[in-house]
Parts: sequence; structure tokens; C-alpha cells
Amino acid sequence: MNPENISSVGRSLLNRRGFLGQSGMALGGIALSQLLAQDQLLGSDASGGPIRPQFDDENPYSPRAPHFETPAKQVLVIYCPGAVSHVDTFDYKPALYKLHGQKPPGIPQVTFEGPTGNIAKPFWDFKPRGESGKMVSDLLPNLAGMVDDFCFMHSLTTQTSAHPQGENFMNTGFTMEGFPSFGAWVTYALGCETDELPAFVAINDPRGLARSGKNNFGSGFLPAAFQGTDFTAANPPANLGRPNAYTRNSDRASVSLLQKLNAEHLQRYPGDADLAARIASYELAGRMQTSVPDVMDIANEPAHVHASYGTDSGTELKKAYAHNCILARRLLEKGVRVVQLFNGSDPSGGNGITNWDSHSDIKKTHAMQAEIMDQPTAALIADLKQRGMLQHTLVVWCTEFGRMPFLQANGTGRDHNPDAFTCFLAGAGVNKGFSYGESDEFGFKSTVNPTTVYDFNATLLHLMGLDHERLSYYHNGIERRLTNVHGHVVKDVLA
Amino acid sequence: MNRSLLTLTFVLFAFCPSPLPGDEINFEDDVLPILENNCLYCHGEDEQESGLRLDRRGMMLRGGDSGLAAVVPGHPEKSYLVQAINHVDEGMSMPPDEDKIPAEEIELITRWIQEGAQWPGQMDDVVEEEIEHWAFLPRKREFDHDTIDGFLHQRLADAGLDFSPSADPRSLIRRAAIVLTGLAPTPERTRAFITDFENDGDAAYESLVDELLASPHFGQRWAQHWLDVIRWAETNGSESNLYRKNAWMYRDYVVSAFNDDKPYDQFIREQLAGDKWDIGQATGFLVAGPHVPSATVGSEPSARRQARADRLDEVLQTVGASMMGMTIGCARCHNHKFDPLSIQDYYSLTAVFQDVEFGSRYPERADDDPRVQLERELRGKLADLRREMLARGYAWTEDWKAYQEVHFPQRSVDRLRISFLGRFVLMDEVEILQKDPDAPRGVRNIALPSLGLQVEENPATKNEGMTAENLVNQSYGAKEFKATSPKGSAERPWVNFGFAKAEPISRIRLSSDREDFLETDYIKGLMKIKYGDFQLEVADESKAGAEAWKPFCTSAGMKRRAMEDTEYNAIQTQINNVISQLIDNGPQPAFVARFVDPVETFVLARGSPESPYDRVYASAPARFDGDLGIPLDGPGPQRRAAFAKWLVDPENPLTARVMVNRLWHHIFGSGIVATPSDFGRAGAMPTHPELLDWMAARFIDSEYSMKAMIRSMVMSRAFRQSSQPNAAALEKDATAQLLWRFPPRRVEAEVIRDSVLLASGRLDDSLGGLSYRIHNEKKRYAQWKVVDNYGEETWRRMLYQERMRRVDDRMFTAFDFPDCGQIRAKRPVSTTPLQALNLMNSDFIVTQARLIAQRARQKAGDNLREQVGWCFQLLLTREPSDDERNAAVEFVQSESLELLCRTLVNTNEFAFLP
Repeated sequence: MNPENISSVGRSLLNRRGFLGQSGMALGGIALSQLLAQDQLLGSDASGGPIRPQFDDENPYSPRAPHFETPAKQVLVIYCPGAVSHVDTFDYKPALYKLHGQKPPGIPQVTFEGPTGNIAKPFWDFKPRGESGKMVSDLLPNLAGMVDDFCFMHSLTTQTSAHPQGENFMNTGFTMEGFPSFGAWVTYALGCETDELPAFVAINDPRGLARSGKNNFGSGFLPAAFQGTDFTAANPPANLGRPNAYTRNSDRASVSLLQKLNAEHLQRYPGDADLAARIASYELAGRMQTSVPDVMDIANEPAHVHASYGTDSGTELKKAYAHNCILARRLLEKGVRVVQLFNGSDPSGGNGITNWDSHSDIKKTHAMQAEIMDQPTAALIADLKQRGMLQHTLVVWCTEFGRMPFLQANGTGRDHNPDAFTCFLAGAGVNKGFSYGESDEFGFKSTVNPTTVYDFNATLLHLMGLDHERLSYYHNGIERRLTNVHGHVVKDVLA
Repeated sequence: MNRSLLTLTFVLFAFCPSPLPGDEINFEDDVLPILENNCLYCHGEDEQESGLRLDRRGMMLRGGDSGLAAVVPGHPEKSYLVQAINHVDEGMSMPPDEDKIPAEEIELITRWIQEGAQWPGQMDDVVEEEIEHWAFLPRKREFDHDTIDGFLHQRLADAGLDFSPSADPRSLIRRAAIVLTGLAPTPERTRAFITDFENDGDAAYESLVDELLASPHFGQRWAQHWLDVIRWAETNGSESNLYRKNAWMYRDYVVSAFNDDKPYDQFIREQLAGDKWDIGQATGFLVAGPHVPSATVGSEPSARRQARADRLDEVLQTVGASMMGMTIGCARCHNHKFDPLSIQDYYSLTAVFQDVEFGSRYPERADDDPRVQLERELRGKLADLRREMLARGYAWTEDWKAYQEVHFPQRSVDRLRISFLGRFVLMDEVEILQKDPDAPRGVRNIALPSLGLQVEENPATKNEGMTAENLVNQSYGAKEFKATSPKGSAERPWVNFGFAKAEPISRIRLSSDREDFLETDYIKGLMKIKYGDFQLEVADESKAGAEAWKPFCTSAGMKRRAMEDTEYNAIQTQINNVISQLIDNGPQPAFVARFVDPVETFVLARGSPESPYDRVYASAPARFDGDLGIPLDGPGPQRRAAFAKWLVDPENPLTARVMVNRLWHHIFGSGIVATPSDFGRAGAMPTHPELLDWMAARFIDSEYSMKAMIRSMVMSRAFRQSSQPNAAALEKDATAQLLWRFPPRRVEAEVIRDSVLLASGRLDDSLGGLSYRIHNEKKRYAQWKVVDNYGEETWRRMLYQERMRRVDDRMFTAFDFPDCGQIRAKRPVSTTPLQALNLMNSDFIVTQARLIAQRARQKAGDNLREQVGWCFQLLLTREPSDDERNAAVEFVQSESLELLCRTLVNTNEFAFLP
């Protein structure tokens, strides 16, 4: 803690309370922030000023109250890098059938990758699904069967046509790099319910990291404590395991000697919170060494679970992703606050297909990617529902932008569409069987209730009980937020 | 304490009646009602949405937060109000969420503005806004004290506090060594210091400080602090995150600047405009931030314009945060909310840097630069070797990485053909070189359409849009020529070059992609030759038709000769060696910015390149007398140099204060201004404003000697006092902002790593050069992967670890080692279980623990108690207490010395600055 943690607004609050007036700057940062926390001064400030979560240095992950009560306590973000075609999945556009093969006026000559071609009808047939009769294509048959649980947002817009910037924007609220991710903000705000596992886990695709890499789950300028820890069902976190050279007993003896040396050192600095925090972190690390392998132990899941997620059928990539889906559920069960699950990597990751980016032969490439994503993802959400976890877990399925209703000049792929795309929410606090916003008759531009990524992120924070305009961190002269200075909560999607 | 003060003054002069021209528009009757009905509810006396008021003429002229004048009398086209009511910009359409106001009303307002925006009674209304903030005011010149301790002590006394007693010598040397050099002291130096200290504490300490300041490790430590601020890295960031070739030359420049105690004003001038003074590598500063390469921006022109604006913003962030202590970026879309920076100021600053582009160039170097000297020598050798080849009538090929150069005895040619033997050719350029003593390097390219060159290619292998004309368009790196032999066809690609007359030629330069050579390397599949074997042919007048060409030089023939002819092979080998030495050690392209012709600069309304507004010219912010005194359209280097001059003017209220505070921050752990890169109103207030001004004055008087400033800080009593807590003082000042003790703090990632290597005796302390690599060599669009972050090649100081933007190094990222995405004026300090896991289980620690244990055994011999003592000495620079030694001996008996070392590395004592 240092005075940097007190912003101009914080200072003016304090000034109002007369704290600083009494003793100049002599009052220490720690005492001050604790006082503030006890007083709930920041939290209850009616002026709507910034809220900086106060956390205990000894355990930065200790659970913290949200700004207001909402059902969602945990969040699962399923991120599909590469841009899923909304017009081939969830955003049904009959006009595309009518104009198939034509190039009506209004289609630009050039989009992100180059010259444009003609309108193309969806590559998969749409059918009404569930009781709501929501039209969803055959590309995702398993997810299609669950539409009554989903809340679609069809009028999303983003600021960029480039993947890495789009990933950054969706996941960090800025197209540029170096800003804290959504998961880092939530962890910073709320801490974690478990003290045996990382508060925020990023499960990368079996093929590797997405284009923006660690930026999608990094902590930016927030303390490193809030970055996502990345591991998958196949690969544990770096340096989790005891080196082969050492035995369990050696480790125990080492830690016990360490604590003895640290205790003696602490006597010279009695009450030093930073030293105490570091001592505590070794205890937490020790617990993680047992609990992470436990949570990764997917082999012991019952056969019917494996069957429903599809760990034993289909392509190797699908099997590996299905394992990751089971891992995601197990992490949520243990109380991990944020799980971010990736379904795609950067373009170097796999053989043949790496993510949803389908500039050529979309019929083949989207189908390959859908085979990996559909069954395991649907099973994961169904599993959460069946276990009652959806009541306190927010599920977010998202991608960086959409794809064009017309083809590229090559006649087989769809280019990037930043002006209309679809994501869906499910679970805690979310309207079920509901669709919000609309794109135009082709799915080219958002028309009814256009929703920016700022709005989307503001809504996600709101669902987690956090006020996106107030959750902030002072960095380099600016009270930073996930939504910068933008964003409106989309109230219609709230249950 | 200074208090920031916002004064908003209306200057209302006596009413001077000014006659209304004509009788068409009556403000009160015609215009005011429109404003009242549509605007004043949100932009009036009660509410000022976006800081805009339209109920006073002066306010209209000033405009709102956007920084754009709502009304420019006589110029409706420049009036933001007119744009807003015409809904020119989708995002700024007024009234909001409604249809436009009636056309006749728009017409009326436009005409009213056209005719001078007459507003009876307010024609002399002027709004002056002045921000009086301590950091923007001139420095104080008279002081009550003349030592650092004097100022500090007075504040302590005012708060009922006092300094703590002196630190013990062992803590003192550890503290001073880590703060000044980033390395813990050795046990030997510690012992010697303690002995000297007992004789004469002051003398011992003073000579220690001078020794540390003179150590080359000093520059390595302090360079890192500077690099943190400007988020310098050796990759671009973004998707492909490509390696920036030779960017490290800038890093070495910074290290030398600190080691040589380069005056800070010179340090600033060189980093902004080193190209003017033959120290080109210094401009790596300008492009320290991340950027998105054009290949991943896409084809849309608006996206390209946006990307350029983003790149300039990165430059401004770097300059603002490091040298000015201001968050300039806030003024990109609207006037700065806190600080006296208008949107005009922001874009005037972009005009200063309008010639800067992210990329590489051959940095300017002085004649006595070792690389320049070496080049002269090697070029001489190369010329000799070439003469030897030519004297024997040989043709040969030189591999310059970016391109191949085929040399052959001079011949006169009016038509030349390159025949390719393979089916597929991908190239960017062909140059045909002729001797010309006046040209650089003695040759000039004559393969230019402007000289009447005709290009023809095999029609059977032609690819539309990628034809042979592109081979001579002087556009490098675009792989614009493609020739493919259709399946089953016997046709092979060829290209004919026809000159206007017979020309003597002696070299041909061919390449597939020579841009990459400039910008990056260390990527799989880069700079591959994509044209295979080829023959150079001339017309054979004796035959006709397809056979009319005869080769005079073939790539296969040269290869064969190299195998068969030992003399040829010997010279060729020497040529290869000289060239590779030139490429490695001669002047090289480096990613330290490239310069372009500055284009006209405009204010971009709301930060959007699609809304250019008023033209602006290079200047510093108006609030700080920003006129640079240069011609409006001066060349780029002149603008940057003038801006540097403005920065280092002793009257500039920020520059010296900001740097002195930054030095203080790294010495005491927190600045006098706790926000080292934000001295604006959103930043922290100084705890000791007078001390700051006093030090700034001393800094300037010392001719900006950074070492002198640092020396005066570490020589202070404040630095030399104990860090022990004391309950009474803790209650008054928990974080020791007033410095009643030296505030203990965690050491950074680099200190942990480097001190472990020092303890094992394996630290390779060589200075500078290519970074050590812990990553794989990747494909263009892949992610970097850590492959070896612990092997012997990595045992250099961590400053030299290749700085990869936003890549987790699998070890020290968890210790808040920055990812170089954002300005890091100060690093956050986290405590996480991942740190514990990394420090217990990583290959680095396991390897080093073994080596430290080995070293302890070598030092101590067979005596276990001695061995244990040496482990403590090597890592903690002290003997264990009896209790500690007993516990450690018992531990080693059941476990091992190696495990003891691993445990000691993990102690709080090792991780904290005492």
C-alpha cells in the first residue's frame, strides 16, 4: 500500500472527512485504506466515485463483497477466437436465401482481407429449437438443443476488424495491449471462494494460446496476483510439481525450515504485513500442489460424464477440448471465481484448423471447428445446470466479431464483420430463452439496440454485482476501468 | 501544502456598442430561441454536458471538453456546433437521439455565425481558464535548508518524529549494493566493509558508494528503471509479436548513458533527435512502445489511418510519461480533464513527432564508432578479395542475407535474361548494377524504367497482378513478383531486361524479401530464397528463336566450381567470412525508428482520424510557452531537436523535478511525488515540495549529473538509517513516507535472479550485445514459447533477457516483471503462491541451488557447520545465528546442502531490501 493508491477523488473524500487536515500526510496508507474499508466509505459514497477493492495483503484472494447483491458468484467465459459466423449459427437471416449469389448495392468493394464477392445463404439449415422456437442452424446441434436456457445478444458491434485487437477489446476493454483482463478485474474486485486454487484460471485451447496470448487473461497494470493462471487438462501450471530430484519429505522439511527462518526474521520487523503475506503465500502454494492435481484428475470422472462431454469420440482435438470442459466444471465446483475457456488458438496451433477464422472454405473449416466446440460445450453447460451450478454461475459465450453475409472474392469464405455479431449468456441473473437486439436483414450491421463491447462488458460486470463505472484502479494518472469511460448495462438481458 | 486551484475567470470589459451589420438576423429574436429550445437544457447555466455552455458567447468560442470551438465567428465550417446540428459525425449529433432541428433553423444559425456571431452585449466576452497546480508553476528558488536531511528532518520534527539510528553495516552494504547495482554484495566485500566501517564509518561508506557508482553494474541497474517507464521491449507486441532486430542497441545506449554519467539534458536530446548528432541508436526511445505491424492492420484505409494515429499516440505516451511526467494521452480525444493540455496541444505534439515511424534504419554513427571503423577495414578486405576473383575471370555469389549478389567480370549487355530452373519463383526486386565511382559503394542500379528499361517475362508462367514490372519498382519486401509453371508444362519462368543501349554491367542483386532483413530476423522461414537455381543469359546473335539465349553465369555452375576448384573455394570462403562479419559487427539496421516525410497535422475531433479539424504545427503545450521557435513546416529532426531544447530549458517547471523524483523513487521506494509519471492534478501531491525543488535546482546546477544526484541521496542520513520499525512512529506514519526509517521493501525480479547467479559464482557479467534468448524460434503468426530459461547461456544479468512483450517467462512474470504493454513508472508488488512455486520448483532454482551448494563446499571444505555458514554467506551475506546454524545443520544431515540453498533463496530476508 502506498499513497498512490489514493486517487485525487479518494483524497478529496478524505479531505472532506478531515483526515488529512489533522496530520498532514502523516497518516499511513495502510491505516487509511483499512479505515476506509471499515467505514465502507468508498463503497457507500453516494457521489458515485471510484471503488477500489480493499484487499488483505496476507491473502489478496480473500473473498470480498460485490457492490450490490446478484445471483452470480462465479463466471465461466467460453471464448471462441477467430470470429464465429453469426449468420451461419444463431442469427437467422431469411433474406440471405433470397439474395443468394447476388451483389446488392451497399456491399463494400473491399473489406478487411480484400475484395468482396456475392451474398451467400447460410451454409447450414436453420430450424426452430426448444420451446422458444429460436432458429439455430445445424452447425451446432447440441448447443441448439439448449436455446431455452440462453440469452442471445444479436446486435454486438466492435471497433476493429483485426483479430488480436478484437480479442484484446473483448477480453480487456481496450484494443491496445497491456490492460487488465475481465477475469483480472473480477478477481481484483471479488477475491475468491477457495484458498486452494488460483482465483482465476485460463484454460487455453489444446492447440495453444489465442492470438493475443497472455493479454487475454493478463493482469495489465493490476498486481500480478490477479492474472489468470493458465493450465489445461493436459498441462499443469508451470513449476507446480515438485522437482524430480526431491522427495515429498524433503519438501516438507524445507518449508518447515523456511518458516522457522522467516519467523526469526519477522521478529526483527514485527507486524510487517508484506513479510507476513509472503509467509502465507508459501502455505497457499503448498495447498495448491495438492489441490491442482486433484482438480485435474479427470480420469476418475464417471463414464457417463465422459460420454456426455465426448472425451472418447470424434477428433483428437475435440477429445482434448472435452477434457478441458470437464476441468472447467471441476474448477467452478471448487469455487474458482473466473474460468476462461478457449476454443481456438493462434493460426500456428494445429493441423488444418486452428480457430474459427474462415476466410476460405468456411463450409469445411467452420464444420471442423464446430465439431470440436459443440458437444463438449453443450455438455458443460448442461452439467452446470444439472448440478444446480447455473444458479450462481454466469456463463458467457463470446467471440471477437462476426462474419460477413457475403463471401470474399474467392467465393468460399466470409470476411470479418465488426458491425454485427452474436454472443450468448446463460445462467445466474440472465434472462432465459431470450434474444436481445437485431442486426439488419442480412446480418451486416446492427440495427435494433446496437450493443458495444463496452456495453457487453458493463453488463457482465453488473451481472457479477459490480458497477463498471466505479470499479477502478489508479494507474499513471488515470482512474482506470474495464469499460474506459464508456458502456451502459443492457438491462433487458437481466433476469 | 500546495493546493491545486481551478480558477475560472470571466473578463467582462465595459460594454462597447458594436453595430449589428444589416438587419437580417436579430440574435435575441432569431437565434436565442433556437438555442433555448434545443440546447440550453443540457448546455446552459444549470447543466454543462461535456463541459459545454451555449448561454454565453465567450463559452461558445471556448467550446467544451472536446477542445473544439463550438462557434468560430465568420467560419461556420470550423464551428463544431454547426457540424453537430448537421449530424456530420454519427457519434456527435445534436440534439441527441433526435432528428435534426428544422433546416431553416440550421440555416439561420449558420448564417448567424457566418456574419460574426453577433451577440449584443457579449462581444468582448472572453473566458480565461487557468489551472494553478504546483507542478506547473516555477520552482522555488529560496530554501530554508541546504541538505536533503535538513528538509526531511524538519518535516519529521513537525510530525513529532525523528530519524532512526544508523543501519548496521551489513544491512547498509546490502541496501546500497542492491539499490545502486541491483546485485547483493559478495561475502568478501561485505566482510571488508564491516571491518572498514568499524574503523571509520563515514569514510568506509563513502568509498563504498563511489565504488558502486563506478561499477558497470550501476548502469545495468538504472537502465532497467528507465526501460520500465517507456515499456521498452524487443518485440512489437500484437498478434505476430515479431522480434525487433537489433533493438538492443538502444538498451546498450541507455546502460552507457548511466555508466558514463551522461548529462540528463544530453540524454533527452539524444533520445529525441540522436539522428542529428550521429548517435542514432538513441532514438530507439521513440519507438519503445508496442505497435501493430501493417500486415495485421488489414486493407481498409480507415483502419490504416487509425493504426498510424495509434502509433503516434504510443510515441507521445513514451515522451509524456518519461520526460514530462504528464499523461498526454488524455488529450487525444478531448481537452485533458485535469491538466492544462488541450486537444490542440496533443496534436501539436504529434506534429513534433510526425516524421517518426516504427521500424528500422541504419543508425547514424560517428566516424570513430567501432562499427564504422570495422566496416572500413572489412570493406577494404572485401574489395581486395573481389579483385582476386575478377582477376581470375570468375563469377561468384555473395549472400547478404537480405539479398544475393551475383558478381561477374564486366560485360556490355543490351538485353539480359534471368532464366529460372524451378517451376516457382517469388521475388521482390532485381537490381542490375553498373560501376559508378560517384555512387555510394561505387555502383548504381540501372534496372529502372525511368532509364528506358523494358521488362518482359515468359507469358506461360505469368501471374496477373504479380508481374515482372514489379521487379523493378523499387518496392522492397512485398514479394510482388510471382511466376509459376503450370502443371505438366515444360515452360519455366524467365524475365528479360532490355536496356535503351548496351550497358557495361558487373553485378546483379536478387531478393525475395529484403524488408524482413531490416525489421526482424529470428523467425522461422524468413528471408528464404524463393527462386531456386537460375542462369544469367545474354542474346546469342548466332541463333534465332527459343535458343537465342546463352548463359554466361549459372548458379549451379558457381556451386560446382566451389566444390571442384580449391582456389576459388578459398577466396569464396574468405568473402563469406568478411560478409558475415560485416553483417554481425558492422553497421547494421536496428529497430530504433525510421523517419518519414512529415505529413500535415490536424486536430482529430474526438480522436478520430476520420474527422480532421484545424491544421496544427509542431509545438509544446501552450500553457508552458510551447512556441518552439522553428519554421512552421520545418523538417522532422529540427522539430524534435527544438522540442528537446524546450524540455531541458531550466525554466521548464517539470523536466528536472520529474527526473529527480524518479531517482528518489528508485532509491527510497516511493517518490516525493508518489506518482512518478504523473505530476498532474490526478497524480499525488509531493510530500516534500521544497526538497523536490531544491534537488531539481541542484540537478540543473550539477549540469544534470544523474550520478551526482543519486550520490547525494544515498549519502543522506535518511538512506543510511535503520529500517527497523518502531511502534510510535508506525502509528503516525505507517509507510514511512516521511522517512523516519528507511522503508524496507521487496526486491525486484531481476535482483532475485541476478543475486542467485552471483551467489553460485556463475553470473556472466559481460556488458551489452545481443540478448540471451529463452524462447523458441517461432513462425510468423505463432506465439513465443519458453524453451530454456535456466541453461548456462542465460546466466547473464536479467537486463539482457530478450524482452518479449506480453510473454510469460514462466518464472519472473509472477514477480511483477513487466510485460511491456504499458508505462511502468513503478512496478506493483504482488504476493502470490505462483511466486512461491516458481522459487521452489523451477529448473532455474534447482540448478542454481546445486551450484551454490557446490561452491559452499569448495569454500568450506568438509566441515558441515562451515558449509552451512558459507551458504548463509553466499545468499544472505551473514553468518547464521547459533540457532539457525543448528537447525540448518540438522536439516542438511537429513536432506542436503543443495536443499538448504534452495530454502535460503526462498527466505523473506533474501527477497527484501533491509
